[in-house]
Parts: sequence; structure tokens; C-alpha cells
Amino acid sequence: MNVDRFLGAGAILLAIPVALASWGFGVGSPKSPGAGFWPLLIALVMAGLGLTLILRPTPNAGREAGESRWGRFGISLVTLLFYVAAIEPLGYLLATAVMLLAQLRWVESRSWRSSIAIALVTAVVSLILFRVLLKVSLPAGVISLPRGW
Amino acid sequence: MDTIGALFHGFAIALTPGNLLAVFLGAFIGTVIGVLPGLGPTATLALLLPITIGMDMVTALIMMAGIYYGAMYGGSTTSILVNIPGEAASVVTCIDGYQMARQGRAGPALGMSAFGSFIGGTLSVVAVMLISPFLAETALKFGAPEMFALLFFAFICIGGLTGRSRAQGLLMATVGLLLGAIGTDDIQGVDRFTFGWLYLQDGIGLVPLAMGIFGLGEILYNIEKREAQGAILETPKSLLPTAEDWKRSAMPIARGSLLGFGIGIIPGGMPAVASLMSYAVEKRVSRRPEEFGHGAIEGVAGPETANNAATAGGFVPLLTLGIPTNSVLALMLAAMMLHGVTPGPLLLLKWPDVFWGVIASMYIGNVMLLVLNVPMIGLFVQILKVPYGILSPLIIMFIMLGAYALRNSVSDVLTTIVFGLAGYLMKRFGVEPAPLILAFVLGPMLENNLSKSLIMSHTGNPLFFFSRPISGVLLSLAILVLIYPLVRWTWRRWVRAASASGISG
Repeated sequence: MNVDRFLGAGAILLAIPVALASWGFGVGSPKSPGAGFWPLLIALVMAGLGLTLILRPTPNAGREAGESRWGRFGISLVTLLFYVAAIEPLGYLLATAVMLLAQLRWVESRSWRSSIAIALVTAVVSLILFRVLLKVSLPAGVISLPRGW
Repeated sequence: MDTIGALFHGFAIALTPGNLLAVFLGAFIGTVIGVLPGLGPTATLALLLPITIGMDMVTALIMMAGIYYGAMYGGSTTSILVNIPGEAASVVTCIDGYQMARQGRAGPALGMSAFGSFIGGTLSVVAVMLISPFLAETALKFGAPEMFALLFFAFICIGGLTGRSRAQGLLMATVGLLLGAIGTDDIQGVDRFTFGWLYLQDGIGLVPLAMGIFGLGEILYNIEKREAQGAILETPKSLLPTAEDWKRSAMPIARGSLLGFGIGIIPGGMPAVASLMSYAVEKRVSRRPEEFGHGAIEGVAGPETANNAATAGGFVPLLTLGIPTNSVLALMLAAMMLHGVTPGPLLLLKWPDVFWGVIASMYIGNVMLLVLNVPMIGLFVQILKVPYGILSPLIIMFIMLGAYALRNSVSDVLTTIVFGLAGYLMKRFGVEPAPLILAFVLGPMLENNLSKSLIMSHTGNPLFFFSRPISGVLLSLAILVLIYPLVRWTWRRWVRAASASGISG
């Protein structure tokens, strides 16, 4: 599949609902443009460029040989989504340590010992650096932090 | 205030202990992330944005600028020693730099790229200083139509210059415009594309967008497909180039400075473009083109000078017109806006400290980098030996932390992940993301000035823009850039047809 053709088709498919929605915002007239004027303009240009890409695509960029590691990619995404869900209820320290542990152990295949050590040290050091020293507000969550932290 | 007086005032600001520390930190962090493949200046600035809120604005900008030009110095180190570009602007340095290193001439290659960077960077700052006040004064007279024409010109250049192909670049830029249109519209207060989600009413933030696409996207790509790291060559003892090296590099450095500055001030003229063009120019004018690719020092000196000159040149449109010409500068614009400073022609009048403080700090920073780089190159190379398996989770942690801390928003973290996936896909399929980010920043300004101009025109006729000289010229230029390939194609066909008929007749 040619990347340009795919992008072009996507652009046209996207342009249609954008144009319809823009109509709903109120297009106004060129003399007094409404809120939908600009997005409608974008949709029209997008559709035009999409058509250009379908008609005159450039060949795909080459990619160096090498195996894909989809398993690790998937685990990595799951840990990120876990982080989104966990940072406020569990707190920065716990959520960060768990995410780092999962990344180090399963994505990067480090030993349990070094994964646990790196994850814990990094989580604590970054908490001190950002929350305590730089006063960036990070959620404390379930762990009660020392006074003044 | 005359330029010299203003510059002295700038030095007075830049030489305070806090700001001096900021220059040093910026230059140091910049060199480190320049050395590290996979973590460029864009992702770094995005990560640091939350921290800069608590800092004094001038100090924050001085540090951010230092990271940017520091990265250009650092990027060449890995190109030469490991044949891996630390960031995009050093890709061409690999060609001859690594060859020089293999021939045991890593020292002169590293030394010449540091000296070239210093000369190009410094000359370019002089030019920025001389041109900016003049340009800002001109831009003060701009009304909405002129501003729109200028932004439109920038938009076309960005889409046309930075994409893999013109149409693809412009399409990505249009997607950026669309993302920029999300949220409550300024004039009528209509919610656009928010799907009833409160978070989207303020629009998508630049930080989650940039961190996702440039930071997380890169990391995810490396997780899916890890590239083998080449052998690190021995760190050389002496970095001093020979007299012969200097003789061969003098003209490439001079040309690189001019070319780099010229490209740097054009929207879309990223340092990477400057270094590529410099390499092409040097190869063409050289009396020994056959040496290129086999360790010609001109192929290191020219591009490394040009990318630093372009880096400094980019500050002209940013500080005088409020137009960022690449994604790093877009983040500096965001930092200024977070501090309540509106970059544009008024910056020089209303916040002279910002302008002159940053300019003066850039002179200091370039000297610091030269002093820092030459003796400490061995140390920077050591950073490369930190296993990627530790580095990558740490970078992910910083990205997540930065995304959350900016507004204490879990939605920002989620947005970062979504754009991280988008960035991964772009990298995977060879689609250049820069036009998207730049258009995202320019979009609201474009819309605002277009609406104002159309209302001003009373008729809504687009020809109104051509009834004013400045906007007319700028729009014509933009159209010229847009249709240039068509013109060239027609011209070639015409020439071919003419010569063919000439032969047969």
C-alpha cells in the first residue's frame, strides 16, 4: 500500500464530516465569516490535497531491515495506559515505580533485581527533584509522604 | 536605545549569576541530548516547559535557547564517532565525519565542527541583532491583511519545504490547522469539534502534542524496532585541526554561515535543511568532489557551521514577528505565552530585556559550548554507553511527568499517548511531522487575521489582499512557491519541445 494514497484517502474521508460539521457551526459569508468558515476552508483544502496525493503519490520511504517486536510494543502501551489510570488514585510515586518496573522488566528484559532497584530509586529521586525541590505539584495518592514533601 | 547600548544592557542581564547558570545548564543539557540519539531538542523543551513556569521568563528562555544550540553541537559528536546522527541536523555530518574518524582523523573532524559551529553561531547572532530591530519596526506597521499574507507565506513554505513531498507536507500542515481549530472559537464562542468534552474546549495543548509526536513517538518506534548500535570509535586525544584543515574549511565555514542564516530566517528552514544544502553546495563548488564521502573535511565544516547559523537565524522571525519557523521555536513561543509575553513586533518595545538578554546570552553560550565541548568530548561520549534499555524507560517517565505536571491533567497525559501513537505511525511510514506542529501553532493566528481582513474589506473579495502592496507581494510570493514545480515542469517541456522541433526543422 502506498503511504501517500492511504493518507490521501484518509484526508478525503476526514474532510467530509469536517465540512458537514462546519456547516453546522455557521459558515457566514466572506464579508462576515462565521465560526464554521475557517474549518470549512480547511476541509476543502484537505480534500484537494488528498486528491492530489491519490493521483500523484510519491513512492514509500524505505525502512531498514529488522524484526518488529510487537509484544514489547503492546506491553509498553498497556503500561502507559495503566499510568493514566493510576497516577491520581495511587499517587505519583507508586504509579511511576510500577510503570518503570514493567518497562524495565518486560519491555527491556532486564533482570528482576536491577528492574526493581532502578524503578524504586528513579521514582523516589524524581519525586524529590520535582515535587520537593522544583515545587511541581504531583499527586501523593495512597502513600503518606513525609511532612514538607 | 542604539544597538550597542542595548547589547550592553543585554549583557548586564545575561551575566547575572542566575542567568549565567541558565546558559551553562542549557548548553550542557543541550549537548547531552544532542549526543543521545532519540531525544532531540523538541522533546526536551516540551519536557522542560512545566518547569519553566516557575522560573523567571528571561532565565527560562536563555536556558531553552541554550538547549537548542547546544543540541546542534552535541549532535555532530555521535555522527562523527558512531555514525549515528544525534539529531536530524547532523545527518549529513555522518557521511564525511565518520569516514574521517575511521581514517584516524576524528579529532580534527570534531574540532572543526566545534569551531565551525562557534563561528556560524556567533556570526548569525550578530546578524540577528542587526536585522531584528529593523524588521520589528517594519512589522509594527502591519495590519491584519499583511499579517495574514505573511502567515500564509510561512504556511506554504513550511508545508512545501519540510514535508517528504510538497503535497504530503501541505496535507500534514492542513491536519495541523484542523487540530488548531479544535475548541471554543474566539469570536463567536461556538464549540468546534469538542464532542461535548470539556477538556477540548480550551483546545489541544501544544505540549502534549509536541511531546507525544516527537518524544513518545520516537521511543515507541525504538521499542518496536531497535536499531543496532555501531561500534564507538576511540575518543581522540587532540581535537585541533591542522593548518591544511583550516585552509580547506575557511570558505565552507564562510558559505555555511551565510547560507545557514538565510535558511534559518525562512519559515520551515530548519537547521537540518541548512546542513543538507550546505553539503550539496560544498560538493558542487569543490575542486575535489571525488573526496566527498571519503572523509572530506569540507563536508563536516560546512554543514556543521550552517546548522548552527540556521539555529540562531530562526530567532529573527520568532522574536520580531512571533512566527516560529520550526517546532523547537514553537515551544519557545509557548513558553513566552505561558509567561504572558506576546511575541511579535511589540516584543522589542515592551519587553526589551527578553530580546537583548537572550541575544547576549547566545554570544556567551557559543563561547561556553566551545570551551565545554573541546575538553569534555570524552565525557559526552561516555553518555552513549548508558544502555538504551535503561534510558528508554526513564525518558518515558519524564514524558509522562511533563505531560501531567503542566496543568495537573490526566487528560493531557492521555492526549500525549494518543499523539505518541500518531508520531510512531508517522515515523514508521516516513511521514514528516514538523509541518503538522508548525501549522498547529500558526492556525489560530491565520484564522484570526483572515477574519479581520475579510471584515475590513467590506466586500469579502479575496482580491482585497492584492490591493495592498505588502500583502500583495507576500501572497504572490506564496503562490509562486506553491506553483513553482508546475512552472518548472511546463518550462522543461517547452524547452524540450522547442529543441526537438529545432532538430527536426
